[in-house]
Amino acid sequence: MSILDKLEKINKEGQKEIFDASSLEELESARVSFLGKKGKLTAVLKSLGDLSPNERPAVGKKANEVRQFIESVISKRRKELESEALGRKLEEEVVDITLPGKRSPVGKRHLITQIINEITDIFIGLGYRVAKGPEVETEYYNFDALNTPADHPARSLMDTLYTQKDGVLLRTHTSPVQVRVMEKTLPPVYIIAPGRAYRRDVPDPTHSPMFHQVEGLAVDKNITFGDLKGTLEVFAKQMFGADRKVRLRPHFFPFTEPSAEVDVSCIMCDGKGCRVCSGVGWLEILGAGMVDPNVLSGVGYDPEEVSGFAFGMGVERIAMLKYRVNDIRLFYENDLRFLEQF
Amino acid sequence: MRVSLNWLKDYVDFNISVEELVEKLNLSGTAVESVQYPGKDLENIVVGQIKKIEPHPNADKLVVCQVNVDTEELTIVCGAKNMKEGDKVPVALIGAILPNGMEIKKTKLRGVESRGMMCSAIELNLGEDASGLMILESELTVGDKLGRVLNLEDVVLELEITPNRPDCLGMIGIAREVAIVTGGKLKKPAIEIKEVAELAKDFASVEIMDADLCPRYVARIIKDVKIGPSPQWFQQRLKAVGLRPINNVVDITNYVMWETSQPLHAFDYEKLKDGKIIVRRAGNGETILTLDDVERQLDDSILVITDPSGPVALAGVMGGTTSEVSENTTTILLESAHFKPANIMRTSRGLGLISESSLRFERGIDPNGTVFAADRAAQLMAELAGGKVLKGIIDVYPKKIMPRTLKLRANRVNEILGTDLPVGEMDKILESLGFDVSKAENDTQLDILVPTFRPDLEREIDLIEEIARVYGYNRIQSTLPESSGKQGGLSLSQQVEKRIKSSFIASGFWETINYSFVAPNFYEKIRLDKKHPLATCISLKNPLSEEQSVLRTTLIPGLLDVVKRNVNRDIYNISVFEMGKVFRPALKKELPDEPLMVAGAATGSWGEDQWFGKRQSIDFFDAKGVIENLLATLGIEDWFLQRALYPTFHPGKCAELFINNKVAGVFGEIHPEVNTVYGFPSKVVVFELFVSELVSCAELLAHFEGIPRYPGISLDISLIVDEKISNEQIAKVIRTTEGKLLKEVRLFDLYTGKNIPTGKKSLAYSLTYRASDRTLTDEEAMKVQKQIIAVLEKNLGAEIRVS
Ligand SMILES: [Zn+2]
Repeated sequence: MSILDKLEKINKEGQKEIFDASSLEELESARVSFLGKKGKLTAVLKSLGDLSPNERPAVGKKANEVRQFIESVISKRRKELESEALGRKLEEEVVDITLPGKRSPVGKRHLITQIINEITDIFIGLGYRVAKGPEVETEYYNFDALNTPADHPARSLMDTLYTQKDGVLLRTHTSPVQVRVMEKTLPPVYIIAPGRAYRRDVPDPTHSPMFHQVEGLAVDKNITFGDLKGTLEVFAKQMFGADRKVRLRPHFFPFTEPSAEVDVSCIMCDGKGCRVCSGVGWLEILGAGMVDPNVLSGVGYDPEEVSGFAFGMGVERIAMLKYRVNDIRLFYENDLRFLEQF
Repeated sequence: MRVSLNWLKDYVDFNISVEELVEKLNLSGTAVESVQYPGKDLENIVVGQIKKIEPHPNADKLVVCQVNVDTEELTIVCGAKNMKEGDKVPVALIGAILPNGMEIKKTKLRGVESRGMMCSAIELNLGEDASGLMILESELTVGDKLGRVLNLEDVVLELEITPNRPDCLGMIGIAREVAIVTGGKLKKPAIEIKEVAELAKDFASVEIMDADLCPRYVARIIKDVKIGPSPQWFQQRLKAVGLRPINNVVDITNYVMWETSQPLHAFDYEKLKDGKIIVRRAGNGETILTLDDVERQLDDSILVITDPSGPVALAGVMGGTTSEVSENTTTILLESAHFKPANIMRTSRGLGLISESSLRFERGIDPNGTVFAADRAAQLMAELAGGKVLKGIIDVYPKKIMPRTLKLRANRVNEILGTDLPVGEMDKILESLGFDVSKAENDTQLDILVPTFRPDLEREIDLIEEIARVYGYNRIQSTLPESSGKQGGLSLSQQVEKRIKSSFIASGFWETINYSFVAPNFYEKIRLDKKHPLATCISLKNPLSEEQSVLRTTLIPGLLDVVKRNVNRDIYNISVFEMGKVFRPALKKELPDEPLMVAGAATGSWGEDQWFGKRQSIDFFDAKGVIENLLATLGIEDWFLQRALYPTFHPGKCAELFINNKVAGVFGEIHPEVNTVYGFPSKVVVFELFVSELVSCAELLAHFEGIPRYPGISLDISLIVDEKISNEQIAKVIRTTEGKLLKEVRLFDLYTGKNIPTGKKSLAYSLTYRASDRTLTDEEAMKVQKQIIAVLEKNLGAEIRVS
């Protein structure tokens, strides 16, 4: 057998062995048996020196071709085997994707806070700032400065929680913040004041001795009742949906005039009438009005120079309407199964 | 205020549906709370005539009647005895539902089929008489609906009258509002009295001693009245608005009060000594037995109507029994007076005695409506009780209260409302309200004479409101303020407060809101001594209950209550927080301090055990981790902890947090005794921090230092030290030995027990070295590491373990 024939035989044997290799290990041993130090092809290459000079170039060329060819076949086969091996490995690693995920604990804001934040964001967008004031208040800020007559029933021990100190009470609304802010600031004033308020109401599904209000106040030159309407309409649409209608009904509050109770078209039935709105199609959501001139002059503003509007809404009421919570006491029980739902 | 529409139609004509009327009243400021339809009960009850009465074949006490109801003749079995053939009676047809809810069905009574039921007055809720069938007047037409023929079909509105509108506590006031919104015309009842020749002033006299409390007292004398029940239609009206008929004279005073809003009182003239009325403050120690049969102690703050022998009525609140109208009364002294509102309120509240009369007087009724009301009642007493009205009216009115004149600037109206109303429109609205309007100065100003029935209208702004509500709030164009000076946003502290909440939420805590008031023993439950500063709190004068009688000085009890409430409901993994104010009495200040706190409580574990592993139970280091998260979120770096002893906490598991060297709060595991008091099944960790300290030290703007450009080298150190040596001591030694290349020290193992000598512990730290200007070599890092090891050995007696 000529050396060239021998090389051709090695070539064929090599290809077969490489193709037959069914694992990376077998492939490696095939490689060693042909290309290793003691491999068949290596042996031929080593013997090149023994050849005559005129034979050498042809055989050398052939031997190199065979080596390159075998190397390329090995590399191709290796890729195939590697990919098969990876395939098998991935198959073994399949998981039951229906097993529960690994969640990290996470809490939530209380529903009341969520609603207050929602309201706050709307009014920040309208150019308001957030003001706070004391929850233990003087009778002056809670009643007198808000134009409430000395004999007004709301002041009675039946309705308002008083401390042992004379003239000091738990604020019955967030309205005193209006007065405190106006005393310290010159107009224009655009604020909302969210916070706790207290009344001497025995707890039942719709009453709580503690609740939350958001008070709003705008005092500036040329503020009109139309501005109040427009502002409340923007608020109602953002808070309850773009399709909401708003209506104002005349009412009486000591510290605003003209005063209004404000309804939105029922969020459940869209105004057609349902159980939530007792069939009337409207839900009362807040009280509002133009700031009474007495309140303005009480803080040193000139009612002929500036005018203003104020509004106040119950946060729990809005939460109850929006989420159909049927008992106000649930907000303060803090049962985790309640908190988790919002 | 209940208003019967049948009755209201006496005073105003209107031609719109009930729904429209309700809508119009609502939108003009008279809120309609409910609409009721009395007479609806009497659906399917008709006038029937008894044709024949025969004995029942099987029962002695029953009879069988043939009853004509026009459309047919019904056989009805009946147990009553008071009827005779030819009588007309109410018949409930099959399908009728009686006021008590009973449905009339075809039935057999002792073998005889009965198709309907003849009714007594009580069964139809038309009277008290249960003794037999209600025998109807013979003129009624057989087959007619009873509700209609008896005028019972009515609509009753329950109105919410705001405190500024005393005039609407009478039907005429309501009628005025209805006339405005419907365009109808107000019709006040015409007064026609035929007075007899005798003079009232010869019979009686009135003296007002305290005119500050009683500006006016009007009296009339009506003699020869026959006390008896009022006619049916009259009683029906009273019942429709919720008044109980008593007798004709008393009914008339109530009727006229409902009509005019002026409370009236009828005295039995014969029982007034010398026919003499003296209005004065009561003497201390005087008493009166009021009509509700309660003996009232009087004092000089209370105004009374007296005769020379003593009090005969609590002015404006309730009459006394001595001068009460009885069935033997023949002569009436009728009182129509005006009392000072505040005094009536004081008396009524003080005595806990609220009447329809006091409710009206305390809001302020029209001082100039007294004569009209007295005349109206006298007229009705003549018509309905056969009385003779004596000539003349006794009217003591020392200081006449005049209508108020107000000026209204037309441009001011439009400025406040944002409208463009012409002055003529304003004029029209004000006149429709019953005001005299005169124009002044080229149409820019109106002078308005406000009648005394509207005491609420004192200023220009009050008139602007009237114009707005009558014009219609909803017709006013909506706009937004056109301000230049507005800038919305949250203050820095409000932003930090929001971020604090976010941090706790991200750490797995649920926000709660708890009452600001707690039980007075709150401090005992958390092991605080009575002398502890937090035990000093503000108590309420008039709490709803002992449980809610003081203001909280710490948020912790509220949160422990939340834990307890959840544990009681079989929820054991709890992590909750609250941000809220606490109240601490402040010396020399009018109001208490109200620091804003944030506090949390956690127990159990972070969720239930899972398929991939058990959840670790919450301990001290969970609380610490939550606080470390918070401090990182707020960018607070200058902080440290100090072991602290708080009675509420486990003495070995409690730490005080210092920020910028000031105490910012405390956290730890609660004391086992507190745990026992609350009955918690596992340990509970709590924390409470001052929000103000967090706010003042928070750094919301992060400092960007770039990302390290060169790789670092991490080397581990394992060491055994005395158990008493703290992690902080070791970490401090490590950090202070070399301050340039060492970037991070992280404890990754802590071990005591097997293979470690008693009294010792093993710790392992990973130290990361990095240079900012080059890639550090192993040799450089090792060199520093060796220095550190040497100092640890020397200063802390550490034994370095080579792994
Ligand atoms: Zn609805």
